Parts: sequence; C-alpha cells; structure tokens
Amino acid sequence: MVPPDTRGRRLSLRHLTRFEYNGPVQDSFNDVRLCPVNDPLQSCLEFSLRLDPAVPVHTYHDFYLNRVDHFDLHHPHDWLEVEARSIVETRPDPRGPVIGAFPPALLDDPRLEENYFDFLADSHFVILDAEVWREAIDLLPGGVTDLWADSLRFARHLFRSFTYVPSTTHAGTRVTEVLRSRRGVCQDYAHVLLALCRSQGIPARYVSGYFFDADRPPDQPEASHAWIEVFLPGYGWKGIDPTHDRLADTRYVKLAVGRDYADIRPVNGSYRGRGTRQLLVEVAVREL
Amino acid sequence: MPAATAPSETGSAAARSAPPATVMLSRVASSLYWMGRYLERAENIARLLDVNIQLLIDFGSIGDQGIKEHWIPVLRSAGDEELFFQFYPKADSAAVTEFMTFHRDNPNSVFNCVGAARENARQVRDQISMEMWEVLNEAHLFLQAKDAHQVWQDGPSAFYDQVKRFSHLFQGLADSTFSRTEGWEYIQFGKFLERADKTTRILDVKYHILLPRATDVGGAVDTAQWQAVLRSTSALEAYRRFYVTEILPRKVAEFLVLSDTFPRSLRFCLRQLDVSLGHMGGGQRPAGPAVDDFDRLRAGLERLTIHDIIAEGLHEYLHNAQAVVGRLATHIYDTFMHHPPVDLASEIRFHQQEQQQQQQGL
Amino acid sequence: MLFHEYATEGFFDEMFTADGEVRPQYRAVADGLRGMESAEFQHKQEAVELAFMRGGVTFTVYNDTRGTERIFPFDCVPRVISAEEWDTVERGLIQRITALNLFLHDIYHDQKILKDRIIPPAHVLSARHFRREFMHFQVPRDIYVHICGTDLIRDRDGRYLVLEDNLRCPSGASYMLENRAAIKRAFPEMLRQAGVRPVDDYAQSLLRAMQFVAPPGYRGDDHPTVVLLTPGVFNSAYFEHAFLARQMGIPIVEGRDLVVRDFAVFMRTTRGLVPVDVIYRRIDDDFLDPSVFRADSLLGVPGLVNAARAGNVTLANSIGTGVADDKLIYYHVPRMIKYYLGEDPILDSVDTYLASEPKDRAYIIENLDKLVVKSANEAGGYGMLMGPWASAREIEDFRAQILANPRNFIAQPPISLSRHPTWVPENGAFAGRHIDLRPYVLYGEKITVNPGGLTRVALRPGSLVVNSSQGGGSKDTWVLRPAREEPAA
Repeated sequence: MVPPDTRGRRLSLRHLTRFEYNGPVQDSFNDVRLCPVNDPLQSCLEFSLRLDPAVPVHTYHDFYLNRVDHFDLHHPHDWLEVEARSIVETRPDPRGPVIGAFPPALLDDPRLEENYFDFLADSHFVILDAEVWREAIDLLPGGVTDLWADSLRFARHLFRSFTYVPSTTHAGTRVTEVLRSRRGVCQDYAHVLLALCRSQGIPARYVSGYFFDADRPPDQPEASHAWIEVFLPGYGWKGIDPTHDRLADTRYVKLAVGRDYADIRPVNGSYRGRGTRQLLVEVAVREL
Repeated sequence: MPAATAPSETGSAAARSAPPATVMLSRVASSLYWMGRYLERAENIARLLDVNIQLLIDFGSIGDQGIKEHWIPVLRSAGDEELFFQFYPKADSAAVTEFMTFHRDNPNSVFNCVGAARENARQVRDQISMEMWEVLNEAHLFLQAKDAHQVWQDGPSAFYDQVKRFSHLFQGLADSTFSRTEGWEYIQFGKFLERADKTTRILDVKYHILLPRATDVGGAVDTAQWQAVLRSTSALEAYRRFYVTEILPRKVAEFLVLSDTFPRSLRFCLRQLDVSLGHMGGGQRPAGPAVDDFDRLRAGLERLTIHDIIAEGLHEYLHNAQAVVGRLATHIYDTFMHHPPVDLASEIRFHQQEQQQQQQGL
Repeated sequence: MLFHEYATEGFFDEMFTADGEVRPQYRAVADGLRGMESAEFQHKQEAVELAFMRGGVTFTVYNDTRGTERIFPFDCVPRVISAEEWDTVERGLIQRITALNLFLHDIYHDQKILKDRIIPPAHVLSARHFRREFMHFQVPRDIYVHICGTDLIRDRDGRYLVLEDNLRCPSGASYMLENRAAIKRAFPEMLRQAGVRPVDDYAQSLLRAMQFVAPPGYRGDDHPTVVLLTPGVFNSAYFEHAFLARQMGIPIVEGRDLVVRDFAVFMRTTRGLVPVDVIYRRIDDDFLDPSVFRADSLLGVPGLVNAARAGNVTLANSIGTGVADDKLIYYHVPRMIKYYLGEDPILDSVDTYLASEPKDRAYIIENLDKLVVKSANEAGGYGMLMGPWASAREIEDFRAQILANPRNFIAQPPISLSRHPTWVPENGAFAGRHIDLRPYVLYGEKITVNPGGLTRVALRPGSLVVNSSQGGGSKDTWVLRPAREEPAA
C-alpha cells in the first residue's frame, strides 16, 4: 500500500451541477450535501452555494450529522444550476497511524454499539447476499481476526481483482451487479468494500468527497470521489480508499458520511416534469 | 380593469382572514360543478333521444337516407358526430341510440354522464346530503344493471323517463337539502352552463336544416319537427301557454333564446350564471376578458329582439353564444376550481442518478 | 329472561362475578335489561343498526364498485367501568404517554436512554418506523404524540394490561361518539340511572389540542388553521375522517388540496391559497411526502416534511412516532417509565419474549404451541400466530420465519381476555364474548383521557380477535361518575 501523504494542504473546491430539462419543470425539492465537514482532519474555511434560479436555502443536519442545504423551486423553470465553492484546510491525522490489534471482540462493548449499528446492516446499495459472503470468506477462511488488517486485505483484493472502467455502471448500480461484472468506478468500489466488511461484521460507512490529484493529466476531467471508513474501537473511524488502495490522507476532502450513496447524494431531488435532457457536472480541486 | 382573481401564489392576507368553516376547497368546488353539469347533460341527452325516437315513429317509413338525415343533427347537437363515426359505419337508429345511451367509449353517453356525476358526488360524499347521494347511486345502478339494455328494449321512452326522473329528483332534493353555501353556486353553475349549451345547440342544428325549406312552413312534417325541438328542450307546453298559437320557427327561436321566464332559455340560463358568478370565491365577482364577453352577451339579450338576431344571422349568433359561454366556463374553472392533475407516477422524476461519484486518479 | 342461561364459564366476566352476582357498576344495566323480552331487545338492536346505516356510520368495502357501505357491527349491551377502575386506567395511561413522549424526544435528539444502556440501541435503530430523516426535528411544545389509542385487555383476574400502543394514526374515536349517540336513543333511562360520564367533548378537546401545538409564530391573527388530512374517499376509514372534521368544524383535505410554498403549507380554495398551521393527518409517515419518503405516494404533499422542519406547520401525530408502536419497544416501556419518570408502571404489560435475544429465542422456538407470536411492526391482528390454536404447519412456518428474521418477532403467553354479555340474535339471548378496550388519550396543554373509549368485541364464539377487519364489533363504553360527587372547588 502507498504510504499516506502527510503534508497539510489548503484546497479550493468548486462543484457545479447543471440540469437542463425537457421543457419546464416545477415543484422541485432538493437536498444538497456539498459543504465540507469540520473535524480534526480538515477545516472548512469558506463555503458558498449559488443557485440559479435563485431561491432561499434552509440548512439542517441529517441523522449522520451531515449538513444538508434544502431548497424548493415551485415555478416552472427550464434549468437548475447548483454551484458550491469552498476552501478547506487538511491536516495529517492527529491520532497518528493505526497501531495495534483490533480483534472483533472489541465491538462487543454495548457502549459502542450505537456508533456502528447502522453500518453493519444491509442498506439500499449494499446488499448482503450469499455472493458477498462467499467472496469475503474466500479471502478470510478463518473469519475476521483483526478489524483493521482484514479491511485492508479486502481493499487490496478489490484493487487487484476489479477494473476501474467508467461508464459501465451508473449512479443506481448496486453491489450485486458490480460483484458480477467486477468493474466500475469509485462509487462501486466503495459499495463492494462496504459489503465485504459488513458481511464479516466489520462496521463500515460510505464517505463522499473529493480527491486532490496533483499529477492529474490536464485533459482528464475531475469529479467527486467516494471511499469508506471502518470503525476501530478505541481509535474511531478510519478512511480507506479501495479505488487507489491507500488510506484517506491530506489530499482527501470529506463532504458527508452515510450507509451508502443513497444517504449522501451530493445533489438529490425530485420534481414534476418530463425529465432531464442534459446534465453537466464540473468539479475543480486546486491547491492554494 | 381589475386583474382576474386567480388563486394567488403566495396566499393573500385577505385569504387568511377567511374563517376556516367557510373555506371551500377548489377540489370540492370542482366536484360539485361536474356533478351538476354531468347530470344535466344526461338528462338533456335522454330527452333528445326520447323525442327523436318518437318523431321517427310519427314519420313512418322514410328510408335509409331519411333516417340518416334525421339522426345526424341529433349527433351534432350533442357534439359527438365525429366520435360516432369512429365506431359505426352509418347513422341508423340502433347505432345512434346505442352510442348515445350506453356506449362506454362515448364520454357523453347517458351511461357515462351519470357515472361521472356519481363519481364526482362520491368524491365529496360527505359534503352533499345523503338523499342526493342515494339518487345518484340509484341512477348509476339502474344504468349499470345487467338488464339495463332489456329495460331499454322494452320501452325506450319509459327508460329515458326514468333517467329524467332521477335528474329531477336530484334537483328537487338538492334544492331542499343542500345549504345555500358557496358550494350551491357551483352545482347551479354547472347545471345552467350545460343547459345554455344544449338549448343553443338543439336550436342551432334544427334551424339550420329546416330554414332552407322555410316555404314549407306550416307543413305537417315541419310542425312535427319544430314540436320536437320544443320537446327536446322541455319547452312545448310552456311555449303553448305563452304564445297560444301555432308553432312558428321564429317564435320557437324567440322562446328558446329570449324568454325571461322559461328555465331553459338562453337568457334565463345566462341570468342564473350571472347570479352564481356573484357568489363565487367569497363574493368578489370574477373579472377578465371572458367575463366581459359574457356580460356583453347578456346585455345584448336584454336589448335585442329575435328580428335583430335573425337579421344578423341566428346561426352566427348561437355559435358565438356557445363560444362565449364555453370561454366563461374555462375561465371560471381555472380561477376557482382548477386542480392540476396529480399523477406523480408519470410526472415525478428523480434527478439524482446522474451524479455518479467517479473520480479516478493515482 | 335474557340472562336466564348466561354462564361465565370460568372466564373473568365484566358484568357478573364468578358466583353469578351482578357487579355493582352494572346494577343499572342489569335492572334495565332484566324486565326486557327477547323481541324487545332485538327490536332496539335493529333500530340502532338502521340508524347507523341512515347516518352513514359506515365503512366502505374495498373493491366494491357498487359503493356498498357497511356498518361496523354494534352490540347494544354497554360495557361499564367503575370510577375506581377508571382512575387507575386514567393515571396509568397518562403515565405511559408521558414516558413514551419523552422517549420519542430523546431518541430523536440526544438518545440518552440508549447511551445509558436502558434500551439496546439496536432495538431502536432497527425499528422499521424509526425515521432517520426526522432526527433533530424541533416539534412545537415537544409534543410528539397528540393522539394515542392504547389497547387494554383484562386477564383472568380482571387485571388491566396494556396490549399495544397505537401512536401513529389511531382510529375508532368516531365510533366511540356514535355508539354513545345510539345508546342515548336506545336506552336513555338506563344511561341516566347509571350515572355515566359524557364522551361528547372529544372533538372539541381534540381541536383544542391541535390549536395548542400550532407553530409558535403561526401567521394568523386569530385562531390557527387546523385541517384534517385524509388519504381520500376510498380509504376505509373515510367516514371517521369526515365525521371528526365535521365535529371539529375544520376542513377535510386530501394531499392534492395542499401545496408547499417557501416552506409553508397552503390549501387550494376558491379564494386562493389559504395558509395551514396544523395538520391532523390520517396518513402514515411513508405516504406523507413523496419528496422525502415514498416517491410513489399519490396521497402526500411534496415538501411537507421540510415545511414541518422549518417550523411552519405542525403534524399531529408527529413524524416518527411509529417507532414506539414496535413490539420490541413495547417490551421496554416499563423501563422507560422508570428511567424518565422514576416511577413504577401503574398499568402492567403482557409478559413478552424477544426473539432477537438468544435466550428468549430458544424458549420461543421450544414453546411455539403455547405462545402467541406477533411480528414486531404489524398492527391490527396481522402477522400473528396463536400457538395453542394453530396447525402444525402454521407453527413450522412461523418457526422458519422467526429463525430467518428474529428481530421481527416477539412472543407472549396467550391472555384469556375478559368476557362480556353480548347479544346473539340467533339465540335471542346474551352470551359471553371476549372484549378489549381502546381509550383515547389526547396530549395538548395537558394529557387527558376521554372517559370512555371503544370497547371492541369478538362476535364469534370463543374468538379472541376483536379487529373489525376480522369479525369484530363494538360496544358503548360507560365510565361511571364517582359515587359521591365532590362539589366543585
């Protein structure tokens, strides 16, 4: 595994989503989760949201304490543009590297259960069926012995035996399908890794965010990113990126966490109308 | 000119002060309106068919062409000529009566009109009296019964009489059991709108056909035809009482357009519509071009004679009257009752799927 | 004459002691019925049924294109509760609702009861009706459960036990009111003699409770606007919705009558959009707002949840109260009472085994033929196994279901519900039939229990199932005044 990058960074983020509809739509209700979180690993210094058409925004925090910006558009409109801009400072993990053993028995402490209960169960995208279980048990014939080491082993396996291919899956693709085709994008990688971990009793959650890639070829488009975190009793949640087989480090900006993609959709809504003709997404992550 | 009083988008302060008990939901107003309108339509069509079946009996044998010439105007006055020929190759008695009485795909068949009236009543079951509901339910069951066709075969006249009786009974019960709240106005509005429309259509269609042969006026066939027009609008007796004279086309037209006492004349219907307009939406009379046209039409009826109207062209006049009433209906519906169809299953779309998270990097 | 062959048959009978003596609270009823002939009673019974039909006290039968409406079967023999018994029931219910309401506030905010290990977090987090979307909601005056219908039964010793709580959209209050109106016509003298407390205040109390929880800054200058939200005329309980709306003098609306604009709710009227402050909703959470819950719901109002979140409209009952209906949570209510109130429960619960706990599960699996198994999230008598009366095949079926999804099942020993004299027209006499009791609790400025409730009766001989969907009927419920009325202070 690649060693984590430990250099703190100041990053500027821009995320533009533009929907163009097939004729006017109305009664549009939208939840946006685009504001970077504040935690010991990162600080959100600035955040602004621009809407076109411009309407008032109500902010609240959801069950997983993600910030949600909600807005409604009632009058007929032909497009919707949502642009989030923020500035974030990232820091090396103050807890230091994960050291020591994490036998699964540590989870039996009832005081901890509340923290991870939701992240062991089935969820919309992460379906725990026999196929998942078989895939996991083939890798760990003796079952889980260490929450951290075994999670990394799952991630490594995924990285090696799955192929990163854009456009073969879509936002609605679930684990069962990815496991069969063995290819997909980071969202699919994250879902499969969640499934493998949860099937063996390792609490794991989905993380939505961005990844700063200093070596990105200029012609390669940027997008949002997804990875996972596993729960380590006594340490806390720790991020693993199966798409790149490494730990989430100072190049990663976290927006939201949830059971899977369904809980954290960056721009999510419904409206009356005949559908979306075109969707444009632009993401730019720059170091300042 | 004041702006149309369409429901405002933000809810006015005036609306707030309305005590909840007197608030009338647009949906309820709409159901009451259609209930009144559909039942009136069922009654009118039943009468139209009854009269024309009897008329054919009077004619004796008139041949295929004669029968066709007889029924086409009937279809036309219901506004369903085009739809009819999608289902039937020719307009004979069996086809037309079947089409206008029972046909499931004809939205204006007696069967469907009663069904629609009852369905609208069902939507507001708790807002109308039990008696009103029971009559509509009975009428619906009468038409839906397995032997309904047989009852019709056994005696079309008795069959149509029964339909008319349901309508009359309903109106009587509405009159004596329904409070004179705003809701009453929507029932009445639907009823008189339908009447104005049907009376003008029946007169227009017949006048159009009969007039070229105006030289025959007074002939036996024509008299029977003009009698039929009057009977189709339930006006024969009233006409006779009023004019105490033979049946003359001009007088028939005068009676059906200008009578200020006969409850199916255009003038009478328009007056009633005017009364209802004044009581809708909390009493502020609606405005707008459609209402202006209506006011102009109504003012004309108070002033014009049948000579003026015929000189200008009766057909044009009636045609315009129908258009004005139709536009008024649309305007009032959109102002007070409009309820955009809620069909989330086909209309609602989630636009979340596109945002797949798919950054690749090294 | 009518009681000539009546026997209690070893059950706890509401009217008679084991020795065949009339219990004191039933004296007026016994006196009234004693002189009556079979034909006379039958006549009264029929007159009441006719009045119900005429009055439209009916529910619509599903899938019936003829628009048939049926009455909810009604039995003319009233169920009587003494002032002392009622005092216990009332105090017990108030205590219970207080605790349940605190519980709901807690789990949607700090979750102290989970952190303090009183209830395992898994039991709450895995409940089907636990609404993650509702977390951190502020509801006006911290009231979540505005209306509660708690089902009570009496065991062999006449002890009142809580069978289940209904904190979502409890129904039946209209029948309580109509039943009383019917009895007033049928037995006016008996009613007067007995000294029965009136129930008629229910609709007004309900309206007051609704007005009390109006959003703090509701934009009205006078009274807040309250509406009743119904799924529509095709719902089997539509009669009740229309009845209660009429009694309260509020509009009855469907989802399509409401629109949300800028986080506020309006109804579409002939006078334009009229603001709505409080919604007494008779639609389940799932169908309330297609933009948040089930997208395919045609009944709801898009944007309603966010309007509530913004504090511009109050929903009664609140979103997410269904979690407390869960049978696993039922199991924990006595602990809740202890935890939040520091009191012992006044009303007992039925002994309950949780299939999710390995020890209990083993016991359940061993004793399926002796237990009543219920699925944790169902109400209305569905998804239930009555072990002692079940076939071997049904038992096997449940065994497999329990092992596959233990979280979803609980088991209880069968309780032999108390019995009550009930008219059996075929015999022209009374016979004992099993009953339960659903009192209605309102939470407004204070918690009140309407002195009465809906007594449901299993009309089939020997049956313990009182649900109207499964052959149950109802009775009027008389709560007696205290023997010696204290003069008003």
